[in-house]
Amino acid sequence: MSAPIQPAPAGSLLARVIGLLIAVVLTAASAGLGVYQNLPAQQVIIYSAATLALSAWIWRFYVIQFAGDSAGEGGASELRRAWRRYRSGIIGFLVLLAVFIALSLTIDGFFNVWTVISALILLLIIILTMSVGRFMAENRSAFIGLMVLAGLFSVGSMNIDGFASATNVKSMLLFASFLGLASIGQTLVALVGGLDLSIPYVIGAANVGLLYLIGLSVPPWLAVVLIVLAGGVIGVINGILSLRLQGQALIVTLGAGFVVSGGTQIITSIGSAYSGNVFGTVPDWLTNLSSMSGSTFGLPFPPVVAIWAALALILVIGLRHTVHGRFLYALGINRTSADRLFISERGYWISIFGLSGMFSAITGCLLLGWSGGGFIGVGSQYLFMTLAAVVVGGTSLLGGVGGYGFTVIGVLVLQVLTSFLVGIGLKFEWQQFIFGILILPMVALYARSPHIRTQI
Amino acid sequence: MSAAAASNLAPTAVQGARSSPHLLMPMTLLFLLLVIAVLRSPDLVTNAGLGSAVIVVAPLILATYALMSTVVAGRGTVDLAIGPLISFINVTLIQLVAADLLGSPIIVFAYAIAVGMAYQLVMALIVIFIRVQPIIVSLSGYLALSGINLVILPRPGGVAPEWMATWGAGTSVFSPVMAILILASVAWLLMTRTAFFTHLRLMGSDERAAYTSGIQITVVRIGAHLMCGFFAGLSAICFTALIGSGDPGQGTTYTLIAVTALVLGGASLGGGRASIAGSLIGAVDLYLITYVLSTFSFGGIQSFVTDLCYGAILVASLLLTLTLPFIQRHLRNFSSLLYFVALAIVALGVILHSTYHYEAVSAATQPAAGFLEIEALRGAALVEARDTRIWAFIGLLLLVLPVIARTLIVGAPRRGVGPVVYIVVLGLILLGVYVQTHGYSIDNMTHVDGKP
Repeated sequence: MSAPIQPAPAGSLLARVIGLLIAVVLTAASAGLGVYQNLPAQQVIIYSAATLALSAWIWRFYVIQFAGDSAGEGGASELRRAWRRYRSGIIGFLVLLAVFIALSLTIDGFFNVWTVISALILLLIIILTMSVGRFMAENRSAFIGLMVLAGLFSVGSMNIDGFASATNVKSMLLFASFLGLASIGQTLVALVGGLDLSIPYVIGAANVGLLYLIGLSVPPWLAVVLIVLAGGVIGVINGILSLRLQGQALIVTLGAGFVVSGGTQIITSIGSAYSGNVFGTVPDWLTNLSSMSGSTFGLPFPPVVAIWAALALILVIGLRHTVHGRFLYALGINRTSADRLFISERGYWISIFGLSGMFSAITGCLLLGWSGGGFIGVGSQYLFMTLAAVVVGGTSLLGGVGGYGFTVIGVLVLQVLTSFLVGIGLKFEWQQFIFGILILPMVALYARSPHIRTQI
Repeated sequence: MSAAAASNLAPTAVQGARSSPHLLMPMTLLFLLLVIAVLRSPDLVTNAGLGSAVIVVAPLILATYALMSTVVAGRGTVDLAIGPLISFINVTLIQLVAADLLGSPIIVFAYAIAVGMAYQLVMALIVIFIRVQPIIVSLSGYLALSGINLVILPRPGGVAPEWMATWGAGTSVFSPVMAILILASVAWLLMTRTAFFTHLRLMGSDERAAYTSGIQITVVRIGAHLMCGFFAGLSAICFTALIGSGDPGQGTTYTLIAVTALVLGGASLGGGRASIAGSLIGAVDLYLITYVLSTFSFGGIQSFVTDLCYGAILVASLLLTLTLPFIQRHLRNFSSLLYFVALAIVALGVILHSTYHYEAVSAATQPAAGFLEIEALRGAALVEARDTRIWAFIGLLLLVLPVIARTLIVGAPRRGVGPVVYIVVLGLILLGVYVQTHGYSIDNMTHVDGKP
């Protein structure tokens, strides 16, 4: 205390003692729980040792950080300073621990070796993202997303039978490709600071429209081309309409979406006794393209995954290394300076929306191959899911920051999370609830805006 | 309703005649739709028709108000969770009533408003202290609340409190729902007179400027969210009264409608600009679109045509706002209040015309269920009432027209117009009250007579 220049061994001794005390208390609690639940003695010993080691390590991690940094500060006592500096971490850790203990107490069979390991993995992820993520300025969201992905996957494969099996991975990738294709447009539009809510309606309209065209005995390949072109045209119209109404792009695209979905249904209902229903046979190659049993040049995975991967690669490289991609970012960050560089706002805005419409239509066609029957509401879950994927990935909705690579990570995180929640037997409504609860902390790890006082 | 809207315009009219061209589009659309609606189905302007219209549109208007108070606060705080929040209050209310934990009106109101405010308080704290973009917070809330709603009440059902049972009947304009609506509007208007609202608008249009000029932006933002929660609670009560049960699945619809109504009413999603008149008119516009569309019959493709027209009108009316700068340049002394009164008189004329010719009460076209699930409109025959009403209207028109003409010619650019307009509006309100009370007695009489 008397020598502020020194790393203050006295304070760290006190801190060490407190840390050890906390660790012992936690260990005692966990051992007591184990005995209470009549677990085998070996397991109890393993858990207790793990708890002791981990809590002591975490405490040491924080205390060492603090001792290194606080050499010159002085003033309030060191514990107080440590508290002030690491209170969020400590409180968070205690809350997590409390939740874990509460869950172990309330749910039978929750407390077993896999759960403890899962909890440790989650803790490790959080600590890693907090410590390493701090040094990554640019790709922090990608790093955290990958960490979450790895954690979720390992936890899932430990706790759920068949989670890491080839079938499940294949189905996860299949659904991820649908969401990923639908999110292409949303990502691009978000990069220039807009939102496209017409995506689900265009997907539904393409789904129904394609089957209708096939039912009219148009050659399927031609029908797909026509539908994709029509999607592009719808997107371009969206772009033209919202060009001067960028603040209201949300509502303009929503209205256009209503028009597209209503119009498609009117067209398909004309001359049909069953309004709203279309019938037809989906060609085999389309089914192969996007069904679970599909194969790519003999390899046993549906080609839509390969298509998605190829498109993602093209988009990531294109956004990063071509002049068009860089111009897009320039436009998203600052319209005025982009204008000074002779970057055409009109051209980019309209073509971006055109692409968005095109990819939505492609998604609709592929979903037809997956489901085998036309349904106008097939895209309705993509209304906010595309938005969630973009946001979780780390693309800013204000424009100029992010990219499609981030969205791919976001899509995968959402998909693995869904699969995990399904795997532990949650119903749809609980899944959605947990989704909503989890999006916020995930985004909060990397997308916090600076305080207003730093912006003046 | 029109009277209330008109009086809401007063503050902007005092500030200057050119203050609010954003209301031009929604007002034009309002009267256009009103005229079409009346021509298509004169039942709308009967006591029962207006009553059921109010019942249907009230939750929507209140949801728009709720959204408005956060949108004004800036940072793009479009609360996507507003619909699920209303649904959440609705389903929990129904379940708690079913469990006999809530009963009396005061407790129910307190519960609804408290839940709304508590949720919004949490959201405000997250936005302020965790500093995540508000739209992400609201997206998260949207997913969480829509999920938990289905857990609480898996499918539509349940019964609203007993005292609420008659609210949704919509047989008269003077329903408790109308009272809630008027009180909420007055509350907002009173709020606009406070320094808090000035701070709110300043924060919405430029948060840094607000911070540097010493405004407690944290407090102001929390206040905006609390107001949003308050209106959301009221909206949930009106929604419960409308459907008379619980419905967990209305979230998306209400969110989309409320955002649309707000934008249609000329609010800026960027923050700083939103008027209660705009929100009110925007919400009524949306209702009238569905109403007018429901008076046409397209057979099996009815809902598709409704979707199509709804979207088309939405896009078209937004595109027309692009002409505003042009109009502003060429119509320098445009006063939205005067424009409103002028259009109102034209619309009244049309209403008179259509109701006059339908003296023999025709079989009312029964509108089918549309986008807003309109309750069956129960039209009570008001044959005798019409004569007296019409004379009263004509008398008032004769009185009002010269006054307005004179005002327009002599004092248009000056602030002196204000009082005259207030008098006109007051007269309209008084007339409405007179007609309605008159209609009431006739209505009761026909009820007595008309029982088979």
